[in-house]
Amino acid sequence: MSVFEDWARATFRHANIEVNDEDVVLVELVYAGALHQLEMLDGIDLEDFPARGIDLRHAPKAT
Amino acid sequence: MSHPQDLSLREQADAVRHGNISAKELLDATLDRLRERDPSLNSTPVVFDELSQVQISQAPAGPLYGVPITVKDMYALPWRAARNGTTHNMIPASASGPYRNLRDAGVIVVGVANQHELGMGTTGVYSAYGATHNPWDLTRCAGGSSGGSAAGVAARLVAGSLASDSGGSTRIPGAYCGVVGLKLTYGSVPYDGYFGAATTFSAPGVVARDAGDARTLTAALVQRPLPQQTGSGLRIGVVRDPFWNDVDHETADVCQRALKLAGWKVTEIKIENIELAVAAFLGRLIAEAGVPSPDVLSTISAPTRALLLAGMLTPARFVPRADRVRAAVRYSLAAAFDTVDFLAWPTSPAVAPLLEDTWVDLPSGRIPVDVPNVRQASIANLAGIPGISLPVGLSTSNLPLGLQLLGPWGSESRLLDAAEHMERVSEREFVNLLPPLAR
Repeated sequence: MSVFEDWARATFRHANIEVNDEDVVLVELVYAGALHQLEMLDGIDLEDFPARGIDLRHAPKAT
Repeated sequence: MSHPQDLSLREQADAVRHGNISAKELLDATLDRLRERDPSLNSTPVVFDELSQVQISQAPAGPLYGVPITVKDMYALPWRAARNGTTHNMIPASASGPYRNLRDAGVIVVGVANQHELGMGTTGVYSAYGATHNPWDLTRCAGGSSGGSAAGVAARLVAGSLASDSGGSTRIPGAYCGVVGLKLTYGSVPYDGYFGAATTFSAPGVVARDAGDARTLTAALVQRPLPQQTGSGLRIGVVRDPFWNDVDHETADVCQRALKLAGWKVTEIKIENIELAVAAFLGRLIAEAGVPSPDVLSTISAPTRALLLAGMLTPARFVPRADRVRAAVRYSLAAAFDTVDFLAWPTSPAVAPLLEDTWVDLPSGRIPVDVPNVRQASIANLAGIPGISLPVGLSTSNLPLGLQLLGPWGSESRLLDAAEHMERVSEREFVNLLPPLAR
């Protein structure tokens, strides 16, 4: 069992979610794809991206 | 008179108002049309034969009195829970906010529109009701998640449908089925009883055969007039990479020709940090989507279950970073809208894929269609802005293609002006195209 599979199965077992072998294979594929995208966020410099309020109904207020 | 469902939504409303057809005659003809055409589509798996007759007797004399529509399975109705494409009652039966607004306009909810289960896909392949088929080619996807809305409208089963859009779910099916799909600005209507309220990405949407019908239905939904203005002379911003460069060449050509036909001033622009938009969208959406209960998980398809379970494993550290990027992208978009009226690029990177094979071949390689579909669509959901997909012609394989316009917050009426302009300059060539099933 791979490290990923071991971790995934333990996590799902802890949440009382039953998974089969196909689930674990698919989850690993999806997880890898998502992580590939998400790791782009690790590369941002937070100085360049200040925390600002988000009101999705309107344009952001002029700064 | 031709079949009442071959009339536009506006014509149906006018015909009932002027007594040319009764609401009951219109409803009966619609139920006949559903029985005749939907078995091959599966767009409307739940039809309210008796309850729709009851609605006629209770409907107020609003601007859409007696007009039958379908409602996506994401909205609770007073007599039916929102199931969200699953076998489970996800939101108990109640009069959801968007339903209330349409009910007050006098519409008749004739059935529940099929959708991709839990709204988590752009193909419509996975649903507790079975896949929705595309009326242009029954072996192909109708799109998702609001595929039932688009397929039913395209096949002339109903003239309008209440859809929703969390990552292109109204616009993509609109493009695949050759109809207009409009995503509203976030928060434009009450969200109670609407499954989309669970995330900050979802907004109700409408699907209709043309911009005029979309305007009429949207005005009823948002309960305010959407006055018509000229759609000529607009300034359009295009972002080439990846939205035009990494799409099927024919799709790009057809959309490019439509922009040229419209005579708008097209400028190539850059939007700061746009390359981070999909990551920010995913980072927060995964956190917000959560995981449904084990009994729901055990009854949904393996691919959807995998999406949700992978979310359980995703580190939370991305969420605050996603929010920072989200705020920055909103400022970038606001700056872009100081110089152009709308952004434009193909709604979907290619025609509707086969139900049996939902991968697409793009310049960047072969990939599951959900990935580039979400890339083309999700910036609107990340920022909260409205967007529309307009039919702009057919591929050489006779499948519809859609051009997407994205506008500033609250610009729904202007987006519809643009769509109406496109219909005028094309002499309605694109919106009058009929799928084989409807000929």
